[in-house]
Amino acid sequence: MTLPSRSKQPIPNFGNGRTRVVVQVGHCSAAVGAREVAHSLKTALSQRSDACLVVTGCDGACFAAPQVIVTHPSGLQQRHTQVTAADVPALVRSLDESHPRCATESDVEAFFNAQHRRLLSCCGSIDPGNISEYVSIGGYDSLSLALSMSPEEVIQTVQDAGLLGRGGAYFPAARKWQGARSFNAPVRYLVVNAEEGEPGIFKDRHIMEGDPHLLLEGMLIAAYASGASQAYVYVNAEANLSAARMETAIEQARDAGYIGDDILGSGFGLQVHLRRGAGGYVCGEETTLLDTIQGNRREPRLRPPFPVESGLFRMPTVINNVETLANVPLILSDGMAPPTTPDDGGNGNKSFRRQLTPFTELGLESAKGTKMVCLSGAVRRPGLGEAPMGTTIRDIVYNLGGGLPPGHNLGVIGVGGPSSGILPPSELDTQLRPGMLHPSGVVMGAGGIMVMDDQAPVIDVVRRLAAYNAAESCGKCTPCREGTPRIVQALDRLAAGGAGADTIDELRYLADIVGAGSLCGLGQMAGGPVNSALHFFGDALEV
Amino acid sequence: MERSELRPVLRNMFPRERTYLLPALHYVHHELGSLPEWALQTVAWHLRVPPSEVYGCATSYSELRIESAGTHLLRVCTGLSCWHNGGRSLIDQLSRELGISPGETSPDGRFTLEEVPCGFICPLAPALEIDGKWRGRMTTDAIPSLVKSLS
Repeated sequence: MTLPSRSKQPIPNFGNGRTRVVVQVGHCSAAVGAREVAHSLKTALSQRSDACLVVTGCDGACFAAPQVIVTHPSGLQQRHTQVTAADVPALVRSLDESHPRCATESDVEAFFNAQHRRLLSCCGSIDPGNISEYVSIGGYDSLSLALSMSPEEVIQTVQDAGLLGRGGAYFPAARKWQGARSFNAPVRYLVVNAEEGEPGIFKDRHIMEGDPHLLLEGMLIAAYASGASQAYVYVNAEANLSAARMETAIEQARDAGYIGDDILGSGFGLQVHLRRGAGGYVCGEETTLLDTIQGNRREPRLRPPFPVESGLFRMPTVINNVETLANVPLILSDGMAPPTTPDDGGNGNKSFRRQLTPFTELGLESAKGTKMVCLSGAVRRPGLGEAPMGTTIRDIVYNLGGGLPPGHNLGVIGVGGPSSGILPPSELDTQLRPGMLHPSGVVMGAGGIMVMDDQAPVIDVVRRLAAYNAAESCGKCTPCREGTPRIVQALDRLAAGGAGADTIDELRYLADIVGAGSLCGLGQMAGGPVNSALHFFGDALEV
Repeated sequence: MERSELRPVLRNMFPRERTYLLPALHYVHHELGSLPEWALQTVAWHLRVPPSEVYGCATSYSELRIESAGTHLLRVCTGLSCWHNGGRSLIDQLSRELGISPGETSPDGRFTLEEVPCGFICPLAPALEIDGKWRGRMTTDAIPSLVKSLS
């Protein structure tokens, strides 16, 4: 698949006649000094009236973090990568050069050229703490459009586009909305699942940190379509920055009349509550998440009844993932006519969203749109990317990630999250898509790609995944509570050497039992790493 | 915070409904650094939830601690990307420097060393969290001076 180069992908322009100095501060980049860079730049630029400092989220090029992006009034852009506070004086001096060097980082260019960005198109350039920037690029226009339609029409539009849930189950989003509508109740709830607690997954954080209003707008449209009047945003315990930026965004949206009793004069009202998780993989499971909001132990519920019928406080409840909801405003704006009048000072930002490639023109017939991919491990350019559904793992590892560092050879690839299985190098041409990527139990999950070099023993990789699942089992279902530790014990026996075919048989048996006898996805998928490892490396595992 | 202060604070901050259990636990945890038994009982009293259930709930979350940690809490990410990119050496080095194993607190109560399943900064592996602040692209060479700066 050929992708348009970055130069052909739209980039929003927030120029205001001054030099715009953007520091990307996210959960990741803050861990390598982005806050210190922002602080130094603030001091250094405080005396200058010709430059403004903007703190944004990250654009996903984590390997280059911390990044500072300077946009001159002429439109010329300079990207400074891996900036430290010590680099700031030189950086500020360079603002005055009459012909600033256009630093073309080939690695960064290649990283972006391997992507097709819709959800992330503004991350790293828009100010997450300033609702007017979001509005200036046509933000909340999709909400206005939705409110001018009937809820059924909104559901139909999203249904026709074929939006599947991005949390890992890939259930049609609009069907959930329709489902909740079909049950009469005094109140319906919308719960935003931002409890991103899977090791190796960091995509929802980027949206909440970098473009929180995109999520809010999607949430408002989903609530309108499903008839919800109360919304809960449930943010992971380890995502303080996401929670802080969401809180600011919610306040601003409330002040601007996008959240409240009578939104934009439509009569539709929504109250939004922000809740924080307290750790635990199982909390991302939708019924567990509902129970934690209600103040119960973190344990999944028996289904049916499904949450759309009896969810939060036993009322019809729609639970959508952050990435799913972020798609919604963009799907609605895909169908909008181009603006007829020039607006916002003529920089064309209002039509920004219409320059994005439409959702339905990307991806596979069975799964449209893009998928955010969390790439980490032994690659030259780890980070967060966005690529059409159907992109191969080879494209992700080699085009996006730049392949392995010199001197390293590809070992196994951990796909999805901790329970989604592993693939050997021979499966690199597997496409990212919903459903099984490989019959042995490998699924895309939430979209993690963890690359190991050949120095990482397969048995050790599988054991770490299995040990994680055992530690995170909530204990409600006996097969999961008792079975997952026994998987770890069997793997330990294999790793110690001398264990034979009996142990392999036991592993197969345990993986089957745990999968078949558990209520929620954690247990049902806990055998994934073991099954895929046995399939691809069966003989090699018997040390 | 004194014991006698918690009741009126809870009364002001949280309606007496069970749905506020986790927010209340978060608040107390933030204020005290852990959830001692008296605090759990006060939360139970305020929300009218049996103390046994409050305890059961509080202990089911990995980010809430019942026992308080040492003065400095060091947590090393052991996710796949970190573990195979130097995370394992970070733990070994820290164990040597501090003289404790993961999960232990030093006898003088100054350091607690823990492993966490993921710090969610996988692209910047290996990662280490010191007193709530994550640091990415860590090297074992940086450990001795880091530990010294905490002493």
